[in-house]
Amino acid sequence: MSTALITGATTPVGIAIAKQLLADRVFAHILAVGAEPPEEVKALFPTSGVTYLQADLTHPRALRNLLFAPAASHQVTTVIHTALHRAAQLGGQRVHQLNVESTRELLRLCEQHPTIRRFVLRSHAEIYRVRAIEPEILDERHPIDLSAGLPQWLRDRAEADLITCAAMAVSPLQITVLRCAECLIPDAGSQLFDYLCSQVCLQPLGFDPMLNVLSLPDLARAFSLAAASPAHGIFNIVGQDTLPLSALIHKWGRLRIPLPSTLLGPLYWLRSKTQGTDFRYDLNRFRFHFSAIMDGRLAAQQLHYTPQHAAF
Amino acid sequence: MSFPSALFRFLSKAFLDEHQQDRCATLRFADAGHGFDVFGLSPDWVQGMFALFQPIYQHYFRVQSHGIENIPSSGAAILAANHSGMLPIDGTMIYCDVLHNSQPARIPRPVTDHFVPSLPLISTLYARCGTVGGSRGNVHALLSRGELILIFPEGVPGIAKPFRERYQLRPFRVGVVEMAIRHRVPIIPVAVIGAEEQFPLRMQLPLQLFGAPFLPVSPIPFPLPVRYHIHYGAPISLYEGTSASDADSPQLVQQGAAQVQRAVQALIEHGLRTRKGLFT
Repeated sequence: MSTALITGATTPVGIAIAKQLLADRVFAHILAVGAEPPEEVKALFPTSGVTYLQADLTHPRALRNLLFAPAASHQVTTVIHTALHRAAQLGGQRVHQLNVESTRELLRLCEQHPTIRRFVLRSHAEIYRVRAIEPEILDERHPIDLSAGLPQWLRDRAEADLITCAAMAVSPLQITVLRCAECLIPDAGSQLFDYLCSQVCLQPLGFDPMLNVLSLPDLARAFSLAAASPAHGIFNIVGQDTLPLSALIHKWGRLRIPLPSTLLGPLYWLRSKTQGTDFRYDLNRFRFHFSAIMDGRLAAQQLHYTPQHAAF
Repeated sequence: MSFPSALFRFLSKAFLDEHQQDRCATLRFADAGHGFDVFGLSPDWVQGMFALFQPIYQHYFRVQSHGIENIPSSGAAILAANHSGMLPIDGTMIYCDVLHNSQPARIPRPVTDHFVPSLPLISTLYARCGTVGGSRGNVHALLSRGELILIFPEGVPGIAKPFRERYQLRPFRVGVVEMAIRHRVPIIPVAVIGAEEQFPLRMQLPLQLFGAPFLPVSPIPFPLPVRYHIHYGAPISLYEGTSASDADSPQLVQQGAAQVQRAVQALIEHGLRTRKGLFT
């Protein structure tokens, strides 16, 4: 059994993936990489099987040092890249550096690495283009949203995904991109989770689209299966729960108020400015109008992944 | 249970007779886990809307159904119908007719034009009743799941034609044939007689609200209570003697579309010949 390196390892998603990989005995050892000092994250990981390394992925030199010193000495064979800026309210060059440039640089360095053979990226369902004229069931060939004026949060995610997908054609690595449905947990960059944290959820009047949400155990299992499988490519990772937005709000015990769509942007902007919340209506406008459910059949066929846990 | 679901359950119990309630109880749908399928269909809404439209179906338009046995009892199939009447009442009556008479009861999945998912309230109502937006991906997904879909291959030009051109079909689009060949499913031609006369006076305002191509208006506030006749023809198996990849042949799908159009036109002519009058 070999060693895997996980970026973004101190996030709830990174921790769950690390634990799942060890539990499934896919890897004997995990190099967990995060931005926090080691003393702050000691309690997050199992005492054996995980080595924590602090690294700032926005610095190419730090990335090089990480891959060609500890990763080389541990003979890392697989890199699982989940590091991403989660806050939607922040933007700018440094955020872009982490979201996009670190992915590009990491891929490049992995290709030159003596032991790394596999690269797995955590991508997101939100990057798919959602419009009235588009199908409601999205397979892996569905267009990515690259429209002009796209907020950086979405643009960066789409760019990181496309960089990795483009590398599939030319890279000697086995590359897998897992486009995961939204995971309704805190600190995972979930816009829906932040939306549902409010006691009152505003919804576009006259629209009630279908959504799919993923549980953290299923997400971690998908990564474990992808890391262990000889299959590679792009896979949609869907959750067990597919339901209308109104039903989701109802299940979370929130009050739902339908309002004309034109009011929602300013109201949620005001909410974020006064309460410091992260939900941005402009990021979610289309999927709050039109259904968009990923088709998970390819992952079921090739990775043998099917969701098994309810998200809430 | 949400308020709309509870309301629609109440409506179906209040307005449907026991036989229809039993039929509705046997409706099958692919539950995605919370009482909805992936497209948003809810059996509670289907039953509730069926209950609401039942008086219109039975007593206002007095729909007469012919050849419903041509609809397969299971598996994917495409109902290809003529489109007419300014408003999509023809689709609603076919929908009610299939729910009312098919053996076993099946939920038809109407495929609407691109702009329908942009319409507030209507988009949600349609989705809960099983309608999907008209994209190739949606049709592909439904046929892969063995659903019975309802398509109007004339599209908007069919519903928008002037009264003087009633029962003259607009050219059928080829997408329906392409999907039938690719998915190896039969096409059942359907003719709706009566819908053309429900709004004899009609006009179109060039207002493109929510992406709709025009705003239909008529000096008659309600459709006339014409009698509807819905004729289902024998299934056409265009896939026989072809392979799935033949769906890419422009010539083949064009010929197939013309064949389906001829079958619908023949059913229309038969229906017009055999009906006794507009209202009887």
